[in-house]
Amino acid sequence: MPPGLDNLRHIVVLMMENRSFDHMLGSLTAVNPQIDGVTNQLSNPDTTGALVKPQALAEFQGQLDPDPDHHFPAVDLQIFGGDTSPNRVANMQGFVKSYFNQQKDVGHSQKIMYYFAQNQLPVLTTLALEFAVFNRWFASIPGPTICNRAFAHYGTSFGRVDMNLLYVNEPFKSIYDRLINATPKHTSKLYYYDTASSTMEITNLLQNQPELFGTYPQFLDDCKTGNLPDYSFVEPNYSDHDSDDGEEVASDQHPDHNVQAGEMFIASVYKAIKQNANLWQSTALLVVYDEHGGIYDHVAPPACTPDQFQASPNNTGTGMPFAFDRLGVRVPAVLISPWIPKGTIVNRVFDHASIPGTVTKFLLGDYSPRSPRETSADVFIEPNVAPVDPARNLLSLDTMRTDCPDFDM
Amino acid sequence: MALIHVPRPENAWNPNRPVNALLKSQIVHLHEAELKLPLRLQTDIYINAIKTEGEAADYVRQVTEAIHAAHQAATAKRARSRVRRTSKVKTKKKGPSKPRRET
Repeated sequence: MPPGLDNLRHIVVLMMENRSFDHMLGSLTAVNPQIDGVTNQLSNPDTTGALVKPQALAEFQGQLDPDPDHHFPAVDLQIFGGDTSPNRVANMQGFVKSYFNQQKDVGHSQKIMYYFAQNQLPVLTTLALEFAVFNRWFASIPGPTICNRAFAHYGTSFGRVDMNLLYVNEPFKSIYDRLINATPKHTSKLYYYDTASSTMEITNLLQNQPELFGTYPQFLDDCKTGNLPDYSFVEPNYSDHDSDDGEEVASDQHPDHNVQAGEMFIASVYKAIKQNANLWQSTALLVVYDEHGGIYDHVAPPACTPDQFQASPNNTGTGMPFAFDRLGVRVPAVLISPWIPKGTIVNRVFDHASIPGTVTKFLLGDYSPRSPRETSADVFIEPNVAPVDPARNLLSLDTMRTDCPDFDM
Repeated sequence: MALIHVPRPENAWNPNRPVNALLKSQIVHLHEAELKLPLRLQTDIYINAIKTEGEAADYVRQVTEAIHAAHQAATAKRARSRVRRTSKVKTKKKGPSKPRRET
């Protein structure tokens, strides 16, 4: 068996907020053309008909205010450019038009095309170049946060395409329930930053199973003491607030929160794992964004297996139903482990249903019931059962790397 | 092994920033949860008046802590009643009690 999979004991997922692949990692095409980011051929029309090209002019804060619309109807415009005909094809031509709708300011609307230069994001771009970067990781739904995060927890959003309360319908259990009720039992935790930031998974998990949760200081301590659960889900800080430790700056990178604060948070999670040698060799860390936040990306989301739910025209707000049969906009995703060859680029298609899908298959093997979307989603860590396909196994090195980067904060 | 410097954001902290749609949604979800809490654990915060991130964080903290407190109280109560049941069973196992002396 591949030693990377043999050694793997912990999977950690850090889910950030609302940034597209091109916006965060698009600059890396200039470093490695295999990374499918920004090129000079890309553009979007503004409302005057002029073509706006992506430019490396993104700023850490203050530029995407108001928060770009990323609810279902706005994302529909962004993906289809305003075409509502039955046989329409995704063209990714409606981002500037969509942002214009919020302020009616042509100049401001063009900022939705801006992306970060590589040197502005030393953490995310370094991790992407050093480990495995996914060219085709998409949000699960062309919509906002809560329904997309639901896919990471349940493998479905139970028919929701919005931020409204989730009413979980049996029989699809959360990945945490599956693990802690398994035989043999597995350990699992959601770590929110602190109680003032809390979690976005309130309706179902926090209010019914608060014992599943820990804080970020607890995560750091669990890493240090070697008590990290088999599966951990980490949430960033969602707000600027006071705490006993002083001023806490939001680290989720949700516009208009500071992107550098998020960089520091990603580095802090990586560092906590890497500083414990035993943990480092036995952990895979996935850094992924919940959705694109209305920000430009050039890759048209593909079709996918329909879920068993359908959102009504009323719920989508577009006048059309949605069968969960296509993915949302592409987001940054990087898989980190010392068993991954430097510069790995993954071209297979993933979405957030791949998270419970991967964790379930790796830790539990066969498990049912799972949603149609989850069962058809690809896995980013191969189940450690013979035979493992070497072409699919990302933790493929025979010996662990000793050249992985460190971050100085 | 490369050592990458990570710059610290400057002047980023602003608890007076207006709440974004995500925080608004989080507040609504927490409010739904708060209404199910015992009255003594509910806040007296009117959520429609929450306008800034600092205010949102204060509400989020109070309700999150209250949810944990409510569950901990229920767990402790459950444990106490389990102990009481166990000790009653143990007492029974000791055999029949002595007959009361007639006075």
